[in-house]
Parts: sequence; structure tokens; C-alpha cells
Amino acid sequence: MKKNIDKVKKGITDALELPLDIALDLPKITMVGNLKVDITNHKGIIEYKKEIIRINTNIGIVKITGDSLEIKNILIEEINIDGNIENIEIMS
Amino acid sequence: MLAIKIWNYLKGYVIIRIKGLSLERLLNLCLVNDIYLWNVDRINNVEIEASISILGYNDLEELVNKVGCRVEIKERVGFPFFLDRFKKRKSLGIGAIIFFVLFGVLSSIIWKIDIIGLQQIPHEEIIKELNRDGIKIGNFKKNIDEDSVQKKILEEFKYISYIQVKKKGVKLIIEIKEEDMPMEDNYNQYPSNIVAKRKGVIFKVIAKKGKAIAQKGQIVKENDLLISGTVDSEITEETGLVSAKGEVLAYTTYSDTVESPIIIKEKRETGNKFTQRGIKLKKKRVKFFSSDIPYKDYIQEIEEKSILGLNNIDIPVKWVEYIYKEVEVEEVKRDVDALKKSSQIKAIENINKELAKKSEIISKNAVFTIKDNILTTKVIIETIEDIGKVKIIKK
Repeated sequence: MKKNIDKVKKGITDALELPLDIALDLPKITMVGNLKVDITNHKGIIEYKKEIIRINTNIGIVKITGDSLEIKNILIEEINIDGNIENIEIMS
Repeated sequence: MLAIKIWNYLKGYVIIRIKGLSLERLLNLCLVNDIYLWNVDRINNVEIEASISILGYNDLEELVNKVGCRVEIKERVGFPFFLDRFKKRKSLGIGAIIFFVLFGVLSSIIWKIDIIGLQQIPHEEIIKELNRDGIKIGNFKKNIDEDSVQKKILEEFKYISYIQVKKKGVKLIIEIKEEDMPMEDNYNQYPSNIVAKRKGVIFKVIAKKGKAIAQKGQIVKENDLLISGTVDSEITEETGLVSAKGEVLAYTTYSDTVESPIIIKEKRETGNKFTQRGIKLKKKRVKFFSSDIPYKDYIQEIEEKSILGLNNIDIPVKWVEYIYKEVEVEEVKRDVDALKKSSQIKAIENINKELAKKSEIISKNAVFTIKDNILTTKVIIETIEDIGKVKIIKK
């Protein structure tokens, strides 16, 4: 049932060319090279270590691995991560 | 981001270390409670370091107890903490304030009076006059009005042709240009030399007071010493200072050159006219159609007309008429002899303006050269005159 609603929503946003992240309440993940990751619309931190950061989102858990990872900013809407990023994985 | 950094610095923030096991939970609680954290860095398994605003820190302390972590402050950064340091070191703060106040006060006081260009009037006289008007070292700058000082000095001293008073930093600079002063004037009681006003060849030196330095036949330049005010006393063998007086007659030359063209172009109007119209807005003129002017040689005349025909009201918009009158150019050759005479007279007139009143003219000589259609007339006048000028001896 929920899947159907999501499908309808996606259809409407596609038809009206609305930005998906806003209409469907999805996270927006932006990378700058392998040095920086910005995640907007997240749902909190699950794990935070120097080598691994796991962040909860609507589409599942986003797992960022690398080394010397550091959270530059942490706000209710947005997380900025600096460091040497090697891998981003979405586990839904 | 820089703006945020500056804002954080001004408001002040602390760098904290949080120790505990469920640190991620604490971070999430911070998010929910709207506590802003930045530069979050993992130190080891049980410890993180983060920056937090002062207000945020107060809120955080409550959360920390709930989660069961420990917080310690590692460093305080920002302007409020900088000010806090002064609370402990009051004398330093007071010292800083005193420094700025003194700096402001001292730099608004005149500390030096410079007088430039004095030759005949002694320094002390000007300083005395300034003191009489209440201007001395230690006065506040804003109490000194340059214009009134200029006026007062000009009134008091007769032989000043130019004066400028200006305040520069903590200095009061007075620039003076003097006229030549007659020997009899009362300032001459001050020790002074007599120097040359202009270059010449010495003809006769009559020293009434002081020691004659210049000798007959000597060539002197401007400001060369002629009669010295430094005299050796014959009785006591000491040197004393007097105000030198005397006459120094010297041969001096004056010259002036006048150039005048032999062939001149004369313009004569033919009567043909060509008119263009335009408009004038304030000071800017705009032509409606700027076509080529059909004449080779012409005179341009510009006429302005009021736009409504109201001449007594000044409206910034006006009609402009450009009138071009055709002219014929004719080359006329002038009589060289007459030209020589007229230019010689002109040169002598120019020289006469410079000549001193008492000077005696010995010879007059005119040289003419013609080159490229131009007649150059050089008139040289030789005179005998008194070239002495008073100059105060500086102590």
C-alpha cells in the first residue's frame, strides 16, 4: 500500500518536474571529490568513528567509510563530513 | 562560512571533550534539541571533541546527565573570554584605556612650530607675535584658526608678501615669503648679513657697518655673502655680531626675448553662412544633425536662445544655433623693420617691470635673428644697481 502511494507521488513529481528530494522527502547526498560529503534531510547518526560513519535516512542507512573522517557541522537538517572518503554505501 | 566563523568568535564558544559510550545518541539528542555542534572529531572509542556555543553548552550539560557521559571544557575561544581576562587583570585594562585617551589628547596638541622661509625677519619676532595671540607649544589644535593667524601676522609685519599657515600632525607650519626690506627698518637691530639679490659683477662696496667681503670685479651669484655681520673686535679680539649695513653697487644684466611671426594669416569673411541647430541641457550641448561643414576655412559661432522666448527666466534647457561663416585666408607679409622696432619696444617694456627703481642704465643692446618665418628679438640691458639684501644670521 505504502509502495503504491510512493509510486503515485513519484509519478506526479515527474510530471510536474518538481525536485524529488523535497517532494518525496528524500535525502540529498552531495560529494566534493573524495574530500567532502554533505547529506541534507537526514534522520540522525547511528555510528561515528574515524573510519566509519553511519547515518540514518529515509532510504535506509548511508554508510561512509574512509579515514580521518570528521563531522564539520551537524544540524537538524544537514550533516557535513570532511575526510578521506573511500566508500559510500546505501543499505536499505 | 567566514561570516559564521566571525559571528561565533564574537559570541564566544568552547571546545569540549565528551567521554562516554553512547556518544552517537548524545549527538542525535543535540540535533533534536537544536544544539549546534561543529568540528566534531573522534579522538578514540570513548571520547569526542567538538565546538559548541556558550548557550548550547548550558543546554548540553542537562543532556549529558541523561545519557551518562562526562563533559570537560578543553578551551575557551572568542571575544567574551578575551574580555573576561581583563576582569582579572584590571590594571591592564585601565592601562589600555589610559593609553588610548593619552594618545588622542597628545596627538591633538601642537608640539612644534616650524617657520620656513625667513630671511630678514628674525624667528623670535614671529614667535613673540604668535605668543601674543595665545598660540604656543602645548595648545590644542582645534583652538588654532589658520586664517586668523595668517591675517594677524600679515597685519603685524610689513614686508611679507605671502604667508601660509597649516596644521600637519602635531606641527604648526608657517611658510613665509618676504619682500625686500629697506635697510633702515627696525628689525635690522638683529644681527644680519647683506647678501646678493641677483647675480652681477661688483662695482663698488660701501660698508657702513660690518665687514665687506665682496671685492671690486668679483662675480657674485644670488645669495652670495657681500657684507658680513660677523666682525672681529680690534680691542678684545672677540667676534661679535652686528647688523650689516651698506651699499653694494654691481653691474647687472637684464634680458628679454620677443618672438613675432613675419608672415601672418589674415581671415576675411566671404558672407556665406551655414547653420545647424541643437539643444542645450544644463551645460551639455547636443547637435540635432551633425553633417559636414561645406567650407574649408570657417569661423564657428554659437548662439543660445531661450526655449520659450522668456529671457528673464533661467531655464536649463536652451536652443542652440551653430553658425559657420566661411572665411578666406590671406597671407600677409609684414614690414621687417617696423616689426623689429615694435618688438624691441615690447621687450624693453618687459624689462622695465623688473628693473629696480634706483638702478642706472649703462648700455642697451638688441639682437635680431630670423628663422623659419619668426623674428626673434633679444634685448640686453646692463645696469648698475644696489644688489644688497638683508639676511638674518641664524644662531
